[in-house]
Amino acid sequence: MADKSSDPVALWQNMIGEMEKGFNAFANQAMASPQFSKAVNQMGGATAGAQKQLGELMEKYLVAMNMPSRAQMVGMAERLQSIEGQLNEIKAMLHQMQGGANASGGYSQTRRPPRTKRPPSAGGEQK
Amino acid sequence: MTAAGPDLAGLDLASIPARIQTEVERAIQRSIKGVEYMSSAGPSLGSTPKDILSSRGTMNLYHYRPVADEIYRVPILIVMATTNRGYILDMVPGQSFIEFLLKRGYDVYMLDWTAPKPEEKNLRIEDYVLDFIPHCVEQVQRDSGESDVTVIGYCFGGVLSVLYGSIFADGPMKNLICFTTPVDFREMKLFQNFSDRRYFDVDHLVDSIGNVPPEMILSSFEMLRPASRAASQVQLWENIWNDEFVKSYRMFDRWATDTLPLAGEYFRAITKDLMWDNKLYNDTMTVGGRKADIADIKVPILHAVAEHDHIVPYGAAKHLITKIGSADKEEVILKGGHVSLVAGANAVRRLWPKLDSWLCERST
Repeated sequence: MADKSSDPVALWQNMIGEMEKGFNAFANQAMASPQFSKAVNQMGGATAGAQKQLGELMEKYLVAMNMPSRAQMVGMAERLQSIEGQLNEIKAMLHQMQGGANASGGYSQTRRPPRTKRPPSAGGEQK
Repeated sequence: MTAAGPDLAGLDLASIPARIQTEVERAIQRSIKGVEYMSSAGPSLGSTPKDILSSRGTMNLYHYRPVADEIYRVPILIVMATTNRGYILDMVPGQSFIEFLLKRGYDVYMLDWTAPKPEEKNLRIEDYVLDFIPHCVEQVQRDSGESDVTVIGYCFGGVLSVLYGSIFADGPMKNLICFTTPVDFREMKLFQNFSDRRYFDVDHLVDSIGNVPPEMILSSFEMLRPASRAASQVQLWENIWNDEFVKSYRMFDRWATDTLPLAGEYFRAITKDLMWDNKLYNDTMTVGGRKADIADIKVPILHAVAEHDHIVPYGAAKHLITKIGSADKEEVILKGGHVSLVAGANAVRRLWPKLDSWLCERST
């Protein structure tokens, strides 16, 4: 087997690794400057403002088109979530009832292992 | 010199035909596997059997079904970072921290997050520290029948756990384990610069868009190492013939890009209280009017930090152990980065066994 210093594949991988490190270090140095922060945040602030205005415009457009607004869709989603939540509660209650009746199948409190485990050093057991 | 003869300036000439053959075979495999990669789904993640105990908006509390015949008395509640999904700790069998804990006889619960909806933009840090975590701790107590609970927090989940532990210092938290948890936010130098209060108008951002979108969170993480994504794709192409490498790449890539949005008010508080005023480090942090002083935590603590963590550098994390009031405290610095500390082959060898040996003695 050729040693790593003469293996072209290993040399290529090493070069990629070094380039990555070098570029990251260079970029981190550039990004640490206040000018970078100023430029990025100015751009970000403008984008956030534009996004807000666009959202308001879309809301008006949907109302004009007689289509459900975002608020109405969110309301429907909340109703659905509430139904899902109630189904989960019913499911949990069924599991509990099943456990109480010591029924077979399903996961319940009655099938849980005892909380008596000791650390290996104390009990001398194998890990 | 013959072709079979040994080296010319370190080059083993005899090995060249074999290397060429290997590289040709790999090139063919790359083409075949490359097509497979594009057309197939990634591995199924987070599949350890679990039950949902409580769900409320962005908050979900899971209980993982024990697999050992006998378990330790004290249950574990894992508090996941609010920016990412909890399945980083439950990748696939053999590479799942949750599975490891279950096999070692722990009773495991996880507080995991889903994307906050637009109407949850008003969630504040108070909701997380004074409501979600205490609610989950109560649920764990009720479900397990035990009054004591071990809390494990990952990254910002660690910050939330520390805030919770310092406010509820009288219990019921019995042990605290933090992974890569920042305390001195000045040391997160690039994040500091991104959120420089002279240029970053957090009020304008939150008032304009409500929840902070996941793309913004992801790009701020990726900007810390801007060349790494491109380099990892080159690495993927080189290793696409290797099924194990591809599987691992897909798992981590999917998780890393599956970033969650942050509730607007929560983000505003983090920016102002932690990034700008560094209140946790300065011992001036309050949550909902209640003082959160790290020194008030007296329970045993283990803090695991990564040697090459580019997100939470050691300088930001090291103060947790020095500031905490516990007599029984330990910090371990392990090889690896922010993610490889807790998941993947590195974690299987290093962090998980260390955590088990520390926690088993304190779980009875």
